[in-house]
Amino acid sequence: MIFEYFKMALSSVRGARFRSALTMFGIIIGVSSVVVIVSMGEGVKRQIASQMNAVSDSLIVVRPGKNTEAKAFSLDGLRSFVGRTGSLSEKDWQDMLTTPGVKSAVPIGIVSGIVSYEDQEYTGGSIIATTDKMASILNQKILFGEFFAGDDHNKNVAIIGQDVAEKLFKENVPVGKSLVIRGKSFIVQGIFEQQKSATFATVNVNNSIVIPYQTAMQIGDNIQILQIYAEAESADKTDTVADNVAEKLKTNHAGQEDFTVLKKGQALEATNDVFYQITLFIAGVAFISFIVGGIGIMNIMFATVSERTREIGIRKAIGATNAQILGQFVMESIVLSIIGGMIGIGIALLMNAVVQITTDLHPVATIEVIVIAAGFSIFTGIISGLLPAAKAARKDPISALRADI
Amino acid sequence: MPLIDIHEVSKVYGFGDATTVALDEVSLSIDKGEFIAVMGPSGSGKTTLMNILGLLDRPTHGTYLLNDKDVARLPRFRQSKTRRDQVGFIFQSFNLLPKLTVLENVALPLAYKGVTQTRRLKAAARALEQVGLTDREYYLPNQLSGGQLQRAAIARALVNGPSIIIADEPTGNLDSVSARVVMELLSEIHKMGNTVLMVTHNPSLTRYADRIIYMLDGCIVYDEASVVGEIPARVQRAVSALRESDDDEKIANVSAMMQTMPDKTSSKTKTKNKKQKGRYSRGKKR
Repeated sequence: MIFEYFKMALSSVRGARFRSALTMFGIIIGVSSVVVIVSMGEGVKRQIASQMNAVSDSLIVVRPGKNTEAKAFSLDGLRSFVGRTGSLSEKDWQDMLTTPGVKSAVPIGIVSGIVSYEDQEYTGGSIIATTDKMASILNQKILFGEFFAGDDHNKNVAIIGQDVAEKLFKENVPVGKSLVIRGKSFIVQGIFEQQKSATFATVNVNNSIVIPYQTAMQIGDNIQILQIYAEAESADKTDTVADNVAEKLKTNHAGQEDFTVLKKGQALEATNDVFYQITLFIAGVAFISFIVGGIGIMNIMFATVSERTREIGIRKAIGATNAQILGQFVMESIVLSIIGGMIGIGIALLMNAVVQITTDLHPVATIEVIVIAAGFSIFTGIISGLLPAAKAARKDPISALRADI
Repeated sequence: MPLIDIHEVSKVYGFGDATTVALDEVSLSIDKGEFIAVMGPSGSGKTTLMNILGLLDRPTHGTYLLNDKDVARLPRFRQSKTRRDQVGFIFQSFNLLPKLTVLENVALPLAYKGVTQTRRLKAAARALEQVGLTDREYYLPNQLSGGQLQRAAIARALVNGPSIIIADEPTGNLDSVSARVVMELLSEIHKMGNTVLMVTHNPSLTRYADRIIYMLDGCIVYDEASVVGEIPARVQRAVSALRESDDDEKIANVSAMMQTMPDKTSSKTKTKNKKQKGRYSRGKKR
């Protein structure tokens, strides 16, 4: 019988194509926006994960500030976004180097200053002071030239990102040219390979000018340490090494834990947490259009029911039970929402493809998202069809048969 | 054992001062194979009686035995199922669903019974063959003439093999030629052993019936057997004596005139046909 309802519903939806299309609009928008937003979120999540995978398992990240549960909508969460004012010092870094189990430790310090080349200035990025181990710890490849070696630590050399090369030097490989920071000139020794996408967890090297830490200290001003990366001697010791580091730094900070020691997984989680909550929030907003779509369907179904009073009367006269009439109209509303949902999913996949082609993002529409969106559209169909269908089922056959329309 | 046995059935609408008695303790029993014509002026309770017999309505008081089963107070879904299996309706305005083909329309009662598509379409095709519409199976109702529509409606009423066929003014919207075809068809169905109850204003149609009931103010005032093919004189007299509205008279006169002058009515028939088509196409817009 359900199949019968389905066929009846399909034929009456087909009978009023334009109206049905308008009715589905809300559902189409709802489904497509939810699918697109969630798959963009998923895409970014996977990109971050794959980046983190490139980083070795023995990586430990120390950030200033106590990392409480990352919440997107608290000030804490925002602070973890922006990067906290430094409470990490050079001493912390030096102490980490001597902590048992630490193979190497690399500071990421921010140097304030303007980078210039001839009369060009570059303001879109940051100057990072670090040591020779940075590239290997972060698994960051160098496209041209090479990263500074251990004995380069007080030379005036710089490794720059591709964005800097293009904007400041207007060429792809400005190796050997020199740029000026705070009055000192630095020779460009290497160009970083393009980092696939910027993440909150790691440094964005695409727009960074990286100089040796010692040199940075020579050009004056204090260096603000954004984070310190450390590498444990082996991956399975990471946990204990992280604890050691935390202990050590605690003594430096007068017993207070105003810093955060993150292992690889935690860093991923902290970033994903914030990002995922934002995705959920936007998806939640998009879900509102399901409600709007449902009301739209309900409205049209009410109109349909009163328009087809005569038909209902006829069907009842030839023996349709109330339940059968109810089933028929609920199915009609379900068919509307299913078709709307399918169109919406189609549009979403199309939009995903467009996003993938035109931007760096790689949206991933998982089966779960599609199933959930489809399920919600069916659910919306049932809920918004029930009331009008009940009205149809309750109609008195005698007066329905007498109805003019 | 009668097919239908109603005993002191009343139907009352409204409360207090506004109470209207549509049926006043009517008792009637119908045997299998009868062709009953129910006559009477507007408001005499014919339609109410028909609705109660067809299980579209429930009596306020009284008992209704259909095939020896009390059906007056059945729960709604049982009532619907009994209606589906035992009653075939034929309406004045055909009442076929405009978006379904003739075949699908005829098969619809079986669809509600849960018969598979192949089997019910076969049954519908057989019913259409019975009414001579085999070549119109895949037409939509708006492509058919009034007479053909009514024949399709008769096929729909027959398809379930009902205990009783209830026809409400089956020729009311038809020209005289089509009306004659439809009445002959009903008569044939009756001769095949079906029970038919027909509500009509038109006394000349009583010639097809073998029993005539005349109603007035919710009561049965005459109930007599008649010979098929004749209009009983008593009915004629009663009709002319009791008829109140001028409309009835006009309708009767027009139809009588048309029957006596079959040659000159062809133009009239056409205009009537057009009217019906107009009416139908209005219906189709919904």
